[in-house]
Amino acid sequence: MKKEKKRHLKNYNNAGYLFVLPFVVVFLIFSVYPVLRTLYFSFTNARIAGVGDIDFVWFENYKRAITDKFFWKSLWNTVRIWGVNIILQLGLAFLLTIVFSDIKYKMKGLPVFRIIYYLPNLIAATSIAFLFQTLLDWRYGTFNQIIAAIYKLFGATYNPIDWLGSSATAGNAIAVIQTWMWFGNSFIMLMAGVQGISKDYFEAAAIDGAGRWTTFGKITLPLLKPILLYVAITSLIGGLQLFDLPYLMSNPSSASYGSVNTAVMYLYKFGFTTGTTQTGYASAIAYVLFAIILGVSLVQLKVFNKED
Amino acid sequence: MNWKKVVSALLVGTMVMSMAACGSDTTSSSNGTEKGGEAKGDEKLVVWTLANDLIDFGERFQEQTGVQVETVVIEPADYPTKVQTALLAGETEPDIIVGEPQMLEDFYDAGFFANLDDLGAKDYEGQIVDYVWEVGQDADGIQRAISYQITPAGIYYRRDIAQEVFGTDDPDEIGKLFADYDTILETAETLKAAGYRIFASDAEINYFSGDSAWVIDGKLNVDQARLDYMDLCIDLYQKDLTAYAAQWATPWYQAMAGEVPVLSAELQWGDWTEDEEGNVGLNIWDEENFNENVSNYTDETTQVFAFGLPAWGVLTMRDHVGDTSGKWGVCAGPSYGFGGGTYIGISSQSKRQETAWEFVKFCTLNEDTANWWIEYSEGDTVSLISALEAHKDDANEVYGGQKLYSFWLEQAEGIDYSKVTRYDKGIGDAWGEAISAIKTGEKSKDDAIAEFYDKVEATYPELTVER
Amino acid sequence: MNIGFKIKKTILYILLILLATVCLLPFLLMIVNATRSGSEIVTSFTLIPSTHTLENWKTVSSYFNLFLGMWNSVKVAVPATALTAYFSALTAYGLAMYRFKGNKTLFTVILIFMMIPGQLGLIGFYNLCTKLHIVNTYIPLIVPAIAAPGTVFFLRQYVLSVMPPSLIEAARIDGAGELYIFHRIAIPIMSPGIATMAIMAFIGNWNNYLMPMIILNKNEKFTLPVMMATLRASTDITANQGAIYLAVAISVIPILVVFAFFSKYIISSISAGAVKE
Repeated sequence: MKKEKKRHLKNYNNAGYLFVLPFVVVFLIFSVYPVLRTLYFSFTNARIAGVGDIDFVWFENYKRAITDKFFWKSLWNTVRIWGVNIILQLGLAFLLTIVFSDIKYKMKGLPVFRIIYYLPNLIAATSIAFLFQTLLDWRYGTFNQIIAAIYKLFGATYNPIDWLGSSATAGNAIAVIQTWMWFGNSFIMLMAGVQGISKDYFEAAAIDGAGRWTTFGKITLPLLKPILLYVAITSLIGGLQLFDLPYLMSNPSSASYGSVNTAVMYLYKFGFTTGTTQTGYASAIAYVLFAIILGVSLVQLKVFNKED
Repeated sequence: MNWKKVVSALLVGTMVMSMAACGSDTTSSSNGTEKGGEAKGDEKLVVWTLANDLIDFGERFQEQTGVQVETVVIEPADYPTKVQTALLAGETEPDIIVGEPQMLEDFYDAGFFANLDDLGAKDYEGQIVDYVWEVGQDADGIQRAISYQITPAGIYYRRDIAQEVFGTDDPDEIGKLFADYDTILETAETLKAAGYRIFASDAEINYFSGDSAWVIDGKLNVDQARLDYMDLCIDLYQKDLTAYAAQWATPWYQAMAGEVPVLSAELQWGDWTEDEEGNVGLNIWDEENFNENVSNYTDETTQVFAFGLPAWGVLTMRDHVGDTSGKWGVCAGPSYGFGGGTYIGISSQSKRQETAWEFVKFCTLNEDTANWWIEYSEGDTVSLISALEAHKDDANEVYGGQKLYSFWLEQAEGIDYSKVTRYDKGIGDAWGEAISAIKTGEKSKDDAIAEFYDKVEATYPELTVER
Repeated sequence: MNIGFKIKKTILYILLILLATVCLLPFLLMIVNATRSGSEIVTSFTLIPSTHTLENWKTVSSYFNLFLGMWNSVKVAVPATALTAYFSALTAYGLAMYRFKGNKTLFTVILIFMMIPGQLGLIGFYNLCTKLHIVNTYIPLIVPAIAAPGTVFFLRQYVLSVMPPSLIEAARIDGAGELYIFHRIAIPIMSPGIATMAIMAFIGNWNNYLMPMIILNKNEKFTLPVMMATLRASTDITANQGAIYLAVAISVIPILVVFAFFSKYIISSISAGAVKE
């Protein structure tokens, strides 16, 4: 009797293959194959994607990447920008989630706010970059003019900061803009997670007299864990691949370039920029970067799973 | 729930769409191959370009020859990627590909351009300005591409200011004020004393900094001229001699039309009147506020004397000079230089090489086309010598009637293309980064230069770097 | 207490609105800039509209047919989004609800593939498309949407947090087939998650530039972002600023519509949580 039930279960489980089959087929063809081709290039001295004579140099490119201090600098830049960004972004998203899921305040207008907060994400990065470059201009930008006006109000003089041109501020400025672009996205994710939680839990908590923070810590947060894991991992993965905003907002011959040059920008320099194209080396950088992201993500997964 | 409806509607939609998509795709792509395979294929040309001027050339070619020209414009930043992926995969279209000078060497090495000498390019030697002809040759001297443009650099200056400060507006005389880096610094100080700024940005002489090659025989070459250029940029910045605009940024364009505020820190954030809305401060973005404040404090604005731009700067200036039109002149810079230019060639995989060659000739070597383009583009500078000579007496009213074509031809003849290398962009950017770091005080000169050497080494392992 | 409560609530609203303003400002700027000429845009900065909308529209039209581009984008983004939504849900459900051999491995592989920097698979991908003779068609832009690791990952997490296994057991006991259970029970419960992902996928597809730029070779097949990039071609970049903003402003409209539509479903499907046990 018992045995039969188990076999039954196993049959159900085999249906899983059917569910994942289409994904696997398409995945193998369109994702795995191109990536393996890159692996091949990373062992060669290919300059432009495989034109002319290609020799196998095996691990030369990897050696070069690992000993390239500018690569490590770019990786550090990435982590620094991402770190500031993720703290602000998740912090803001969490605050908003708490506000909107609070059953005492019953804040209205969620559909409207949610759309508005997401709006910055709809504009193409090129437009955003242009906009902020104008706003943050050192001597001419509106942003500095506003700050100067505020200083003046208190009788102080403001020595304008070259937000995007100085190494001290450029990275943070980009992190804040990145936050502005993405906090609505995190907010939607977290809200979708909260709405997946049965209302009964919250009502029960309210009846038990649990406070806002207790409810949040004891109910919302644990139930949100799978979504949180997703948000954390994707933001890490996305963050370490940070590219378009710093790429569009920086100028290779500005003093701040060394502080906003991210790892993928460095990869792009060798992968697709005229004058510096070295496909073999770019491929190796891609794989080193990948190995690093993989390592960090595994640690992250472990940490999350431990809490189970 | 409604959801089910939504999902099923979407699914049905998908199927219809993808069927429609596949259906139309297969028909059109099979059409394409059939056409390509037929003998009649020569009646069509596919052009991939990065500026829309070739659209106009293509339309004119089509009108005159009946060959159907299909022009696809791709953003310059993505152009090399697009061409590479297509040609490496063996595509026989496009027939015409183009490149800016910094892209060309990679394209030559990759074998993307067909040999124009085989098609008879040698016969036309000497009809095109020398340096352009040379840029279009690969390392073995085989002609691969030709440009219809020349792009020598010049100093665009304000005649009225020149007259006031230096007592003359003659291009030859003003050219002497830009003869070398030391003189430029002196000129800048004289102008500042007179209440003007020499440049809007401190990058205006970049086009003239290539008087020595960055790489000679596989060795990085940083000579005295480079260091002098560095010092000049630092001085211009630290001694408050420019208007602190970034090239191609909003205030930079503004400076072309005349007054910009003097934006030294104390003045910019100084005592401005409040407007009706209670806004404190000068808002240079708001024309009304700006003019009002400017009329009260005329001392606090300045005008920019000069811009350093290639010949196509004529078109940029044309769109932005505003009321200063007619007050401009163009003179030579401290050395010869050039920037940009679209070079047209034939894809080595094209099946319509003969027609494509007709097109290249039509764009670059046809006097009729050149004359038409000079008119049509309102001031672009062609590379065909006979056309330049025919127009040498054309007066350009923006520049007080100066005869620009003979000037550009002269400048172009001075360009020594042998000093240009494929490393220029990469090394130049690194050098610019070093200059910026020094001038803003972020790094000491020694540190910045050491970092520059490191960077060149890391970017181009094949180069020898001697410090 | 009551007054304090109200004050607090008001302050919260003010803060929320302030944040909303910061998010709306660039849209306002974009719309204003769409009415200004390129020269005006590069030389001054204002929120007061100008009068060059028609000129900008003419510039846009002289470069391309915006509506054709939009239709092309629809032809790519709608099927791709639907495929992503449906197959990701299918895969996620399969991964979350069945214990078959290779499940863990597949999930790990999906995670790993999310981590590979996208840019470098490009040349290999194009090579593949040439071999399959699907260059210059929409197939390479639509079919790969079936395998969207990020979406699968999200939905797997989502299924795990919202799907009561007892419900599936019950359905099985009632004799329902596995696919039937997925379509009838799982999809409605997963719908908030699917809607969220569909929005992201649609926006991603709609704004996707690099892939269509590489794959498509004919003007008449270009999707909107590829068409708009031609406005940024070298010589006219400043003169065309106004036209660029106008095109961007118009191209955002469909995303806004889709967004408004789907976000309504996210809310209404809160009640999907009302699968009473």
